[in-house]
Amino acid sequence: MTAASGFSVLRPATLAEAVAAAAMPGAVPIGGATALQLDWAAGAARPGLLVDLTRCAALSGSGVEPDGGLRIGAAARLAALEHDPHAAAGAPLLLAALRSVAAPPIRTRATLGGNIAGRTGCLIPALLALDAALVLASAAGERTVPLAAWLAAPPAAGEIVVAVLLPKPSPRRVETARKIGRRAAFTPSVIGVAASLDIGPDGRIGAARLAVGGGPNRPRRLAESEALLVGCDVGAADWHALRGALLEEIDAADDGWRSRSYRRRVAAHAIVAGLGGAFPPHPGPLPAGGERGQGRALPVKGVRAEDRAIPLPLAGEGRVRALPEEVEVSHRSLGDRWRIRPDVQAKVEGGFRYLTEHRAPDMLIGRILRAGRPHARIRAIDVGAAEALPGVRAVVTAADVKGENAFGIVVQDQPALAADRVRFAGEPVAALAAVDAATAERALSLIRVDYEDLPVVTDPEAALAEDAPRVHEGGNLLTDLHFVRGDLAGAWEGCAHIVEATYLTPRQMHGFMETEGGFARPELDGGLSVFAGGQYALRDRMQLARILGLPEEKIRVVTSPTGGAFGGKDELTVQPALALLALKSGRPVRLQLDRAESVLSGWKRHPMTIRMRTGCDAAGRLVAQQVDVVADAGAYASLGPGVLETALEHACGPYGIPHVETRGRLVYTNNGLCGAFRGFGANQMTYAIECQIGRLAERAGLDPFEMRRRALRRPGTPGYLGQTVGPSERLDEMLAAAEASALWAAPRGLSGDGAMITGIGFAMNYQGTGLGSIPPDPGGGRLALAPDGKIEAAFGFDEMGQGALAMIQAVVAGALGCDRDDVRPIVGDTALTPESGSTTAARATFVAWKTARTAGPALAADLVAAAALRLGRDPADLAVAPGGIRDRRANDAAPLIGFAELAASLDPLPQASAAFEFPKTDYTRGNARFLFISGATLARVAIDRVTGMVRVTDIEQHAAAGPIVDPAGYLGQIEGGAVQGLGFTLTEDMRTSGGVFLEKNLDQYLMPSIADAPERMTTFALEDLDPGDPFGPRGVGELGIGAVTPAIAAAIADATGLWPATTPIAPEAVLDALEGAG
Amino acid sequence: MAKVPVQFTLNGSEKAEFVESGATLLDVLRDKIGDTSPKAGCRQGTCGSCSVIVDGELRLSCLTLAETCEGASIVTTAGLAEGGVLHPLQRAFMDAFATQCGFCTPGMIMAAKALLDRNPDPSRDEVVEAIAGNICRCTGYEPIIEAVLSAARSNSISAA
Ligand code: FES
Ligand code: FES
Repeated sequence: MTAASGFSVLRPATLAEAVAAAAMPGAVPIGGATALQLDWAAGAARPGLLVDLTRCAALSGSGVEPDGGLRIGAAARLAALEHDPHAAAGAPLLLAALRSVAAPPIRTRATLGGNIAGRTGCLIPALLALDAALVLASAAGERTVPLAAWLAAPPAAGEIVVAVLLPKPSPRRVETARKIGRRAAFTPSVIGVAASLDIGPDGRIGAARLAVGGGPNRPRRLAESEALLVGCDVGAADWHALRGALLEEIDAADDGWRSRSYRRRVAAHAIVAGLGGAFPPHPGPLPAGGERGQGRALPVKGVRAEDRAIPLPLAGEGRVRALPEEVEVSHRSLGDRWRIRPDVQAKVEGGFRYLTEHRAPDMLIGRILRAGRPHARIRAIDVGAAEALPGVRAVVTAADVKGENAFGIVVQDQPALAADRVRFAGEPVAALAAVDAATAERALSLIRVDYEDLPVVTDPEAALAEDAPRVHEGGNLLTDLHFVRGDLAGAWEGCAHIVEATYLTPRQMHGFMETEGGFARPELDGGLSVFAGGQYALRDRMQLARILGLPEEKIRVVTSPTGGAFGGKDELTVQPALALLALKSGRPVRLQLDRAESVLSGWKRHPMTIRMRTGCDAAGRLVAQQVDVVADAGAYASLGPGVLETALEHACGPYGIPHVETRGRLVYTNNGLCGAFRGFGANQMTYAIECQIGRLAERAGLDPFEMRRRALRRPGTPGYLGQTVGPSERLDEMLAAAEASALWAAPRGLSGDGAMITGIGFAMNYQGTGLGSIPPDPGGGRLALAPDGKIEAAFGFDEMGQGALAMIQAVVAGALGCDRDDVRPIVGDTALTPESGSTTAARATFVAWKTARTAGPALAADLVAAAALRLGRDPADLAVAPGGIRDRRANDAAPLIGFAELAASLDPLPQASAAFEFPKTDYTRGNARFLFISGATLARVAIDRVTGMVRVTDIEQHAAAGPIVDPAGYLGQIEGGAVQGLGFTLTEDMRTSGGVFLEKNLDQYLMPSIADAPERMTTFALEDLDPGDPFGPRGVGELGIGAVTPAIAAAIADATGLWPATTPIAPEAVLDALEGAG
Repeated sequence: MAKVPVQFTLNGSEKAEFVESGATLLDVLRDKIGDTSPKAGCRQGTCGSCSVIVDGELRLSCLTLAETCEGASIVTTAGLAEGGVLHPLQRAFMDAFATQCGFCTPGMIMAAKALLDRNPDPSRDEVVEAIAGNICRCTGYEPIIEAVLSAARSNSISAA
């Protein structure tokens, strides 16, 4: 429904007008029109005429008919129906089903008629179970047809749904409705079921109406299964036979997200369990509690899993902290250290300006033409028609690239605009700038590219074959890493237990809410300014200079603030196109990807196949491990080599294993782009190694803590690669904290009603920080007194939402002795900020802290000296204080002179800088980290016995990363990382077929909703450092996501015996395990 | 393309615009009127970042045609503070660190306001249900739930 889509809307007020309008050629009747965009995105034709039926009086209202039935107008809004007294009294089943439709802001608009008319609506099963009939109107008049019959017949053109009739319900009935989705709320339907049994006075089932539908499944009644129930005593129905009949009768679609047989199975389970029958059979003894009684008729059940009772993990509100030395990181317990971040007020007021929101009167709108095919040779590009279109100011192609048409953080293998070949479907081929969006869109469609398709490389393993088609001339193998220690071949003999498994991890999308974009403008001096969300402005500038053939000094790059990044804005995104367009048009140009374009073209997490073989001796001591990783690099390298290397560096986790061999291969394919993503390969590997340890513990008959106690590396010993490792390792403490956790002792097993099985799992978390020993890893910053009396703290890293500004205020105020509000942080702008390195690898906290420690005292001394001169005092008597300089000995903290007054008297203003390398080891045979942070993660899951879906109810994280600089930011990183990790584990994967993503937008790619987030998240921090540890606070940006996946996997294993090795974890696999079919 | 006149009140002030037939309320608010508090996260009704309140009802402005808002009263997050005093929800979002990148925040606040307007004392589950249409990628949601509950508490304290 963009302005360019061009249709008109009629709003008939009477039924006659509505019928006439609906009969017009090309007319499409609409209710709330909440699914139109989705239909259009799925390829439905865009109509010229929409007929809005919601103003039509004949379609509104609800009421009880003379025969006691219920009539609901088709234009009834779903949200209104939720509170409709007639519906509440006459159709509680419908109300239960309503709550599962989309989400509240959709339900305020969506109509009952709209849900029915498309034949895929989530309410149809419930309406079928309620024996609904439709009142329909067309030019031929009105008719009333049973819903089931209407569904069975082909759609009649020009006919509109006027009302829904529900017969008077029988006085005694058993009903159920349930939608099974792919996440806990706001989910597409996997399948929906509903059932309603009329019970006679003798307790026998008089009529049975069972139905399925929703999403891709054909909605229908299940006559044969119904027949099985009619006449039975409801208390003695043969549920086993019913389940069998349902499995026979239910037909379901296979849309690639869930198999047909899964849909069938969960639909059958849901009907049987919902009617009070038994849950699916479970092999072996049930963990606790008992089966639900057979044939007990239940009142209507809510449709959400959350409605089902799960035993609470902890008695009462109070949480015991696990180790006395830890603090709980929460507003409640750290209230005195809890601060409001400086950029938040504008954000909650809605006035905060993102870089994509800047406008100027002469600003053009840019668009990028993308290949739309995964692998092809470009024979010719013709931009003539686009250039000739009035309103188009610039069209650029590879021919306009004056410098090197190649970029990439590690190797420059990626063109700014494709020259002769495209290697992924989202590859930019041309870009243009026009006076408005409609012109830009038209112009885009006028560019002609002549392609010759090439064989598509989709499978990284197959791509390694000698004769595989090549993505790049040099072959598909981008990186091949080996590491060997000890004698692996001989070591297996000494193993009493060996576990071998292959772990698959998803192509996760960053999913920042602000898509890539910004603006660029030519400057008077012939230079250029580029404002686009990023994670390292100086590097973006260097890369742009190389592409544009301009000296770096001619380019200003501003990268902050941005609406989320998580690694996905670390590499260049839209900057090359923006820069080329601004230079060619001579005008400012703005450009922002829409979500679908962002999905298509953005960076993703590298999918990995991790084969791991791990062995321990009879006492449970780890002896040997072999790891083989094949990672999908996508079409271009970006940071892929670093990601793979980081993954391999974490191959043994925090464990000492004498005999190891690792191999990692990173392979080019045409499957889009892969790059940096929070965790940077370590979280994939942590998933694998922690599952291996958990499995070995089972084999060795050890509890998971004891197993790890025997295996944990000893502080001060060489790291995995043999490098020196920094101080303040806290692995033993983290292990002890997890073991002492109240969550570990929480109830597990069957829920009271038998619907859920809960399990608890635990995993260690161990992560290197910084970029490692080989790449340059510069840090630094500048502190200065500004003319207005603020202490300006300038850093080249970025504010992406994580709270960098608050963190800077905290460390600078702490080092100087001033107030946080005296500090004005400036970040991410090559014109204003110095070299600080990238905003990745949890390094910004250390960089700011170290700068404040290094430059802070120098600046403080300058400030004090200047004040002393001004006040005629001895500098030794003075100190920096909140607001200015005070008398060191006075009880009164009020400054003798304020910073502003001091600044007014000084020229030049004092400043101090720091420049240093991020702490490193001297190991250079491979890239090795020096500073490691550690943690432990516990997860508790509730597994739905009907669906196999995993609900994470609790996550408890323990973190040891040095002192907490800003508690709110620290907690935000841990919790935000945890839920992102939960998505990786349970719902998120960008699947491909033939090099094309199957997920196109946020309706298909499902990030966790609020209902998927754990009910309880608790975070504990161990802040202490070894005596003399000079490295201060470490960042926790990557710790929160680090061990969530293996903790959830271990919890699933606890509940079901299955160690899931494929993420996202398929509910079908869990269901198989529950039912003993795995 | 036909232009349609439409008049509505936005955060209490009268607006009269000529809009393209078929233009969304989201585009009109952001590009014509300059209220950028509703954000475009997906433009297809799947992220909630464009949420606004129309005649007391939570709506996705990306799915709402501007021309259907004739005579409507529209509230956005940009209009919540009164005389420089933040709405309790805004205050609570600040205090709880419920805002990181902030891109989801205006939509979250609208969804929460729609809830508190009809249910001043919601349970945690009711908060979760009311915000189920809003995606946040940064916070993990927990501080958002806390913020809404604490805004409800502070409301009931100030009403008492
Ligand atoms: S932009 Fe409206 S729901 Fe995403
Ligand atoms: S704060 Fe960034 S999406 Fe919610």
